[in-house]
Amino acid sequence: MPIGFAYTLIVLLVITSAILTMLILLHRGKGGGMSSMFGGGVSTSLAGSSVAEKNLDRYTLLVGIVWLACIIGLGLWLKLELAKPAADTTAQALSAFLGR
Amino acid sequence: MLSAFLSAFKTPDLRKKILFTLGIIAIYRFGATLPSPGVAYGNVQQCIAVMQEGDTNGVFTLLNLFSGGALMSLSVFALGIMPYITASIILQLLTVVIPRLEQLRKEGQAGQAKITQYTRYLTLGLAILQSSAFVALARSGQLFQNQCDDYPIVPETSLPTWVTLTALVTTMTAGTGVVMWLGELVTDRGVGNGMSVLIFTSIAARLPSEGWTILKNQGAWGFAGIIAVVLVVIALVVYIEQAQRRIPVQYAKRMVGRRMYGGTSTYIPMKVNQAGVIPVIFASSLLYIPRLVLDFLRSDNPSSTYIFVEKYFADPTSWSYITLYGLLIIFFTYFYVSITFNPTEIADNMKKYGGFVPGIRPGKPTADYLGFISSRITAPGSLYLAAIAVLPNLFFIALDSQQYQNFPFGGTAVLIMVGVGLETVKQIESQLMQRSYEGFLR
Repeated sequence: MPIGFAYTLIVLLVITSAILTMLILLHRGKGGGMSSMFGGGVSTSLAGSSVAEKNLDRYTLLVGIVWLACIIGLGLWLKLELAKPAADTTAQALSAFLGR
Repeated sequence: MLSAFLSAFKTPDLRKKILFTLGIIAIYRFGATLPSPGVAYGNVQQCIAVMQEGDTNGVFTLLNLFSGGALMSLSVFALGIMPYITASIILQLLTVVIPRLEQLRKEGQAGQAKITQYTRYLTLGLAILQSSAFVALARSGQLFQNQCDDYPIVPETSLPTWVTLTALVTTMTAGTGVVMWLGELVTDRGVGNGMSVLIFTSIAARLPSEGWTILKNQGAWGFAGIIAVVLVVIALVVYIEQAQRRIPVQYAKRMVGRRMYGGTSTYIPMKVNQAGVIPVIFASSLLYIPRLVLDFLRSDNPSSTYIFVEKYFADPTSWSYITLYGLLIIFFTYFYVSITFNPTEIADNMKKYGGFVPGIRPGKPTADYLGFISSRITAPGSLYLAAIAVLPNLFFIALDSQQYQNFPFGGTAVLIMVGVGLETVKQIESQLMQRSYEGFLR
């Protein structure tokens, strides 16, 4: 597998990570988690999600999928990469053997 | 019971919510097993196997438990919701100190939203810190206490090292953000509180394998004994969680126009354990900090302070650690109740609608009375939380202190699981009530 493939994926991964983080921060914190427990039960599901929120969800999902694809792609690349040196050494051993 | 489940699934919007929650849980578990880019999955598995054979105590056991085993394998969601919990604790403690935050909290809905937003920013900041810390630990082999240096977790590739590391840290940070979002989605559109549901999932995910380990090491009788203790703990937890004191409230009759209002008598339910499981989560996440600091400072010839801290504050089987844990739980219970339960507000509301507690004047005396009862009822509540979180651990230490190490059957985990389970079922039930009157809990 060419090294350029890995570089492309990593650049894409870093970019999507940044965008994903930004999109998630753009969401109106729905008071999930502890702070809503702290809030003393102020009803959080006050209004349904607005159009902006819905679009934001859609974009986040889209970027998330690309992000996930990058991670899986890099994982596969790493697997091939790690399998390669072993093959190299056997090839070297073989050539050394044949050379002698 | 079963019919209640059936009717929960027959209700369309409830069914949608439950399925949505299950879907999110599936995504969460998937991310928790997916290795981050640059992490060699095979090597990590080897290392975990080595760690389980050796009897050294796992360092980040509790943290690993909270992340459902994701931390040790450096997966995409390795940090899980820990940064979010830590951020919430920090902000809540800061509200007491910084007047600006205090003001925001009193502002109500809008201020609360702002605090939540601060918590989210802080979470990501903490995520960057923690992910780089863990990546550094993993690379130096200390994540597995240098027991596993033959299998590099982040192996050398043809990429420069810094590129791999950048990708790793970025992915894990973004992963934490995604976990936070998933939790919020569950709170928003699913059932139960998202964060607790995710903690619940992580702990439950560890149960089968840990149970198997115990069965293998202890034999059938030891296993049965542990199950019995767990059942007793569950029964106790449910018993206390449901306990409440009812303060009678009488409403005066009022004529508005030609209609008669009020004149009813009702009660304010005061739960013995108002705080739920949050104090336990907080206390345990605070107590892992000494351990974390120690691991960063690890050296070959440790100083005397290092040994002192390690012996008394990082070893979960030492008496000082257990005492501190219990005290922290009691503190956080009071802290939490003082934040969530506002007697003055309740007394004012009652006064506005013509209600009073028989024998007590409305207004300030009522507020004092409610505050008094709340602080008195919290005393057994906090003691109970501390006892349940600590006592089973003592029992297990007596049984076998080696096996204690990474232990999902300990009091903390059981408490969290049962507490979250009860909370979620109650929420489903209240939604079910809108349609029919039959519920899960009778």
